[in-house]
Amino acid sequence: MTATDVRPDPDGPETPTNRPPSMHRVKNWIRRPYARGIMVLTVVIGFLLLPLCWLLLAAMNQTGAPASPIMRDIEQTVFVFTLVSIPICAFVFAVLVYSLLGWKHVKGDQVPKDESPAIRSNTIGVVLWTVVSSALAFFLVVWGLIELAQITANSYGTIPADEQPADSQALIVNVTGQQWVWTFEYPQYDKITSETLYLEKDRPVYFNVTSKDVIHNFWAVELGVKIDANPGAITQTGVTPDKAGTFNVRCAELCGLHHAYMETQIQVLDKGSFNSWAREMGGSKTS
Amino acid sequence: MSATATAFGAQVPQPVQHGKPGGIMRRLNFGTGLIGGLGLAAIAAVVTNAFIPSGAASSVNYAPIAPQLVYLAALLGWVIGFMAGMGAFIGPIRWLMGRDLTHADAEYMAGKDLGKARYWKFTTDHKVVGIQYLIMVMIILGFGGLLAMLIRTELGVTWAEVFTPSFYNSIIGTHGIAMIIGMIIVVMGPIANFIMPIMIGARDMAFPRLNALSLWLLAAAVPCLISSLFLGGIQDGWSVYQPLASQGPPGMLGYQMTIIVFAISTGVASVNVMTTILTMRAKGMTWSRTPILVFGVFAAALMGLYAFPFYQYSQILALSDRIFSTSFFKPLEGGSVWLYENLFWLLGHPEVYVILIPSTALMLELLPVFYRKPLFSFNFAVAGIVGVVALSGLVWAHHMYMTGWAPAVNYPFMLSTEMISIPVGFLVLVVLGTMWRGVVWTRLPIMAVYAVIFNKMIGGVTGIYLSDVPADQYFHGSMFVVAHFHFMLMGVGLFGAMGGIAFYFPKMTGRMLNERSGSIGLWTAFVGFQITFMSMFVAGLQGQPRRVLQFDDLFNISNWISTIGAYIIGVGMLIFLGAIISSWKYGDIAPSNPWGSKSLEWQTPTPVPLDNFAVLPVVTERPYNYGVPDPYEKEMREHDGDLMTKVGAK
Repeated sequence: MTATDVRPDPDGPETPTNRPPSMHRVKNWIRRPYARGIMVLTVVIGFLLLPLCWLLLAAMNQTGAPASPIMRDIEQTVFVFTLVSIPICAFVFAVLVYSLLGWKHVKGDQVPKDESPAIRSNTIGVVLWTVVSSALAFFLVVWGLIELAQITANSYGTIPADEQPADSQALIVNVTGQQWVWTFEYPQYDKITSETLYLEKDRPVYFNVTSKDVIHNFWAVELGVKIDANPGAITQTGVTPDKAGTFNVRCAELCGLHHAYMETQIQVLDKGSFNSWAREMGGSKTS
Repeated sequence: MSATATAFGAQVPQPVQHGKPGGIMRRLNFGTGLIGGLGLAAIAAVVTNAFIPSGAASSVNYAPIAPQLVYLAALLGWVIGFMAGMGAFIGPIRWLMGRDLTHADAEYMAGKDLGKARYWKFTTDHKVVGIQYLIMVMIILGFGGLLAMLIRTELGVTWAEVFTPSFYNSIIGTHGIAMIIGMIIVVMGPIANFIMPIMIGARDMAFPRLNALSLWLLAAAVPCLISSLFLGGIQDGWSVYQPLASQGPPGMLGYQMTIIVFAISTGVASVNVMTTILTMRAKGMTWSRTPILVFGVFAAALMGLYAFPFYQYSQILALSDRIFSTSFFKPLEGGSVWLYENLFWLLGHPEVYVILIPSTALMLELLPVFYRKPLFSFNFAVAGIVGVVALSGLVWAHHMYMTGWAPAVNYPFMLSTEMISIPVGFLVLVVLGTMWRGVVWTRLPIMAVYAVIFNKMIGGVTGIYLSDVPADQYFHGSMFVVAHFHFMLMGVGLFGAMGGIAFYFPKMTGRMLNERSGSIGLWTAFVGFQITFMSMFVAGLQGQPRRVLQFDDLFNISNWISTIGAYIIGVGMLIFLGAIISSWKYGDIAPSNPWGSKSLEWQTPTPVPLDNFAVLPVVTERPYNYGVPDPYEKEMREHDGDLMTKVGAK
């Protein structure tokens, strides 16, 4: 490939205008065959990857998620991060593909002749890459911080157990992990206990999570709630389930022999059914 | 005292020679090491057993204490006896006796004229240590890979329990730690030891005996790990969180001993590597003339040096909790499980960069040779490595977002973790820039680089999800995490190391690696790898927790696919291993510089002579001086000049 084949006009540079020379450089660069090839490949690969944005969420939603605002925030984050990553991945993969198929390659045992251009650096490329990657990282950090603040607010921060009013509108559930069962205690309902987590739709719930033996991790999958159950400490979180249905609790921290079986169900009921369940269990509402 | 020896043409005064060169080292080898280790282990076990009152019980889990103490004593006996039998303590003893090494002694210890026997001894030559590391790495990775196949078998057979839960949990933990150890040394062992000193124009490492010591300490540590499998194993994952670990069977002591010994080995090796790089570069090899792999190795040594002590402390404290009933990590007696988690992850995160950075630097080292181009923006590559090292110690708590330890620190740790993507991005730019408009010579090592970059992108992007607290709230502790770190550690670390081993194979063994079978192995493993871990991502998205033995039917399909992929990886790796073994024995004899590389290590004859260079080289130019002047640049300059004059004229 010699310098002359890429000139659009073999008669010489185009008629001079008042545009600054840098614009000519950009135009000239875009006219190089490899520049076009890589750009086209980037777009093609990008569009091929685009369905991932929805496929990831489809995989996450198989059992009925999202069932809470927190889970919705999580899914939004996953969606945005996928969307932002696709152009970068597409560009890198395009260069990989083009370097094998577009630029020449040689085979065989003989060491090839030195005929690649000795590009030791390229100020524009380096600056552009640094600026774009820093800007993306900055965007992701800002997005993450905002979303984190939001889910912290949606999970009611970390209100210490002794400051949670027993008569509050919110439902309080004391979650206890032990090898290898979950126990849910409802202090507002005469401390009734259950091995299935019953929640009321659209009513905020505070979880006070602890463990009797080793570290477990309380993961209410479709609600997007996850927090360690530590022995000797109470960790707090919360959520407002906004979808009725049956969901899963799993233990997400290796806790010994039967860790795999340490799972149970969540029943999110509407107000009437929840109250009748509580009455059936023998818990009259204390407040 | 008037004796002298001739070394590189100079007369050097020598201490008195006692007996034959090498002295007692002539009688010591791996066999005496085994005898010493097993003998002392047996003695220690019998003596300890005799001193324990029968019926003594541990205050931790009320298990009988005798097996634990006997096992611990046996492990200690094994390590000390093995090292003594290998001759590791001969140096200090010699100093105490006032007998310095003569030139002849030193040459004997470097394995001069010993033939194959030198590979079975406490040999100080860095090339011998490099080969010993290579063999050791293949054994460890093979062992870990076998356990991986067992894990996938259990997870693929969704209709029954193949193994008991306790055995399954212990193979998970053992697979984890064996692979971590294997991956830490896969580049830092064979390549940093064999190639790096030649690359910087040195005759050996700075401390040859410490070099041998680090290798044989590793050899002493691995049997501790394997022995634990027979005593209940490590049932708590490789991270052995407390207090679950304190419930564990005596096998846990094997893990703790392995880590304590391995951390010493890593510290010794790190100091050695760093000193060598700082002080022994050839004349004229300024930092800008030092190959990028040397920077990568230095960075890994530096991170290893500050990170491993945390790990060692955490295991010493855990051992003390178990044996002496202290309560560092027992929450009900005033200890803290979060203390353990912090100590552990203060190692845990720098450690992944200890694995990734040498592999990435190795990849950068290969690119210029196969593209016949200089490395794009050398300064940027160095900046990337420096950036990763600088941030490596500030991100550990992103493993603890969901532990409830300190929810407020999630904000700064999210910030520091996502910042890592910037220096890592620099390294990607250097790769792409070096590929840019190059004519690639499609040989096996460079194909591994393509595989690595693909994996690095997938691993990197999924890492961004995990670094983000809201997304991590879903992914933490799920199979998504497992798939992510396998993409980084195996996809980048191991595939990069395979490329590096293929590249340096001719120099290390004197024979060419069979390109055909090597490529088949590599690509089979790559395809299997994608199948396994892509479907593991799906399992994670669906919500499958990690380290489980059975799961909901929902996850069946992705696990079946994953298991099929894992068997394909196994086949691919066996083919690659077969290529290594058969090429090592029957491969074509390699020329001294088959890749036409311009760096120092390829200018030595193959096999590399004992002292590497008869005359120490002097470096006069930057590395990677390949290629021709850029035709476009010339055109551009003329074109711009044209325009400037015309625009100016108008």
